[in-house]
Amino acid sequence: MAVEAQRAAGPAAPARPRPKREREEEVLVWPDLVFVEFIAAVLFTITFTILSVFINAPLLNRANPVVTPNPSKAPWYFLNLQELLLHMDKAWAGVLLPTIALGFFAVIPYLDRSREAQGIWFGTKYSVRLTVIAAIYAVVVSFGLVVFDAGDRNLTPEFMPTVRTEMLTRWIPSCPEGTDHVGFPCLKDEAGSPHLGITNTKDISKRLEFSVPFPKVFGNPTSDGELDWPRDLGHIPVPFNNVDCCYGSLHLWKGMYLNIPDIIANQVIPLVTIVFLALLIIYILFRLGWVRTKRDIFIIMFTAVLASYLTLSLVGSFFRGQGQALIPPWEIKVDEGAGELHPP
Amino acid sequence: MAVTEEPGKPRNWSERIGVLQDRIYDKVFHNYVWQSIFRSGYPNTPRNQMLVVATNVFLHLHPTRIHRTHVKITHTYCLGGLTFFMFLILTVTGVLLMFYYVPDVNRAYQDIAALETNVKFGLLMRNIHRWTAHAMVILVFLHMMRVFYTGAYKPPREFNWVVGVILLVLTLVLSFTGYLLPWDQLALWAVTVGHGIGGSAPYFGDETQLVVFGGYEVGPNTLIRFYTLHVIALPLLAAIFMAVHFWRIRRDGGMARPL
Ligand code: HEM
Repeated sequence: MAVEAQRAAGPAAPARPRPKREREEEVLVWPDLVFVEFIAAVLFTITFTILSVFINAPLLNRANPVVTPNPSKAPWYFLNLQELLLHMDKAWAGVLLPTIALGFFAVIPYLDRSREAQGIWFGTKYSVRLTVIAAIYAVVVSFGLVVFDAGDRNLTPEFMPTVRTEMLTRWIPSCPEGTDHVGFPCLKDEAGSPHLGITNTKDISKRLEFSVPFPKVFGNPTSDGELDWPRDLGHIPVPFNNVDCCYGSLHLWKGMYLNIPDIIANQVIPLVTIVFLALLIIYILFRLGWVRTKRDIFIIMFTAVLASYLTLSLVGSFFRGQGQALIPPWEIKVDEGAGELHPP
Repeated sequence: MAVTEEPGKPRNWSERIGVLQDRIYDKVFHNYVWQSIFRSGYPNTPRNQMLVVATNVFLHLHPTRIHRTHVKITHTYCLGGLTFFMFLILTVTGVLLMFYYVPDVNRAYQDIAALETNVKFGLLMRNIHRWTAHAMVILVFLHMMRVFYTGAYKPPREFNWVVGVILLVLTLVLSFTGYLLPWDQLALWAVTVGHGIGGSAPYFGDETQLVVFGGYEVGPNTLIRFYTLHVIALPLLAAIFMAVHFWRIRRDGGMARPL
């Protein structure tokens, strides 16, 4: 009260008598805070006790290494990583991207050092807007990419014409059987099955084939005057991979060969996509004039990382069926594995 | 207040009850034993209220006074506190579960099954442990979001935010190691997925699998490793980091607020 009066009366006092005012704005921890904490603790205790009376923790059959349930899933907070595994190189999906995300979280305060708007919810001008847009964008984009990468899945209800993202690349012809150098790009189809476009990014390193004439100069990877994708590029030696230099596994690239098609399909394309989409939204919001400080950029990135983390977990939980096929939640059936193999 | 006033003769019943209350109060709080435990008097005066916080080791995590805005539920939604509270519940229920559980592949599953059927409140303890574990993971994420969106990581709280990120990782790993212990199909195959993910680390995949999971597939070694990590190593680490976390909140000048 006194503080308010003081504020209203004095004409914009230049020297703020801070310490005094702070004391007056303070309350005692006991009872004000301790009371709130106590109530929160009691409410949670009661809630979880009741919850636990009615809902039991799952306990399936005894673990059996020879019976694999289909699908098998990681706990929900790691399902997003499991989901990423379907779309890119496993080291990136499982280890590097999460490490980068955590590292990014950890360095935020060292990069954004402005003291603007600390200690209040959404203290900067456009922060609510940025948060909402970034969250929606991340949810839509990550879900969209998941769907896009499941090219063999029909996206429309049954009575409507089939729409599958694989159709976008159907125009690439099927590879003729038994030929060595195919020239123009083609897609290998399984014998006897209909022609499909690119169903999944991984197809680019597996089913896509083409070849270009390639002269036999400086130790090129091909010996027959044609460079075939992916065959000729799958086993490129790294320089010095045969030199004995260092102690044991410290020579990290000893005996290392690069699988270029695999790197393109499973690393370059997914990562470039992620970086591009992240920069795109930041750029758009910047052009709209809503990104003014570093904090604003971090709001977008932090929000987007968490929103896609959550989205991918939800996809993993509710939209992945047997063989990790993308299906709606109501169609998911878990195959517990062969029944007779259960131990007594 | 009543204590300092001059006690007149009680005129009606409500005053009589008042006098009785004061008597009981004196007996309970002004005796030798009570005062040997709680140095300060009952916290009904500002002085005692500050003393109780300052002299009690548990309450001492708090300052004695706190800015008005921080007591508002909508500032923190108690998320950090509740995360910590989940940790406490998990410790208590976890200890009870340990009484009945042996981390041996031949016994673990039967132990859990027996716990559910043969032990009084065993099922309840297991359920509470399970659901609060999930809650802790959710709460720690929400807490991180609240800290981020209130800009509370800014100087001088940079390092406490980093401690927080470590706590986030510890919480996830604690939850994950606990997931294996029932040794049922859910546990085995979920951890097998994690084992595969660990093995995909560039250059150190094999080492990760050997060191963290104790082998190239999930088996008895994994169970004993996860058990040890889950019941002692990780909780201890988490407790240490929490202590640092709370200490730093105080050292950094209490919770963040606008300058
Ligand atoms: C086991 C996990 C954690 C526990 C038990 C915990 C506990 C707490 C508590 C009780 C507070 C006091 C204010 C409040 O309740 O919000 C707090 C504040 C804080 N926490 Fe955590 N926390 C945990 C994880 C994290 C994480 C993951 C982060 C961030 C990455 C973080 C960063 C902070 C920061 C910067 C503050 C100071 C907030 C302010 O000044 O307003 N903590 N924590």
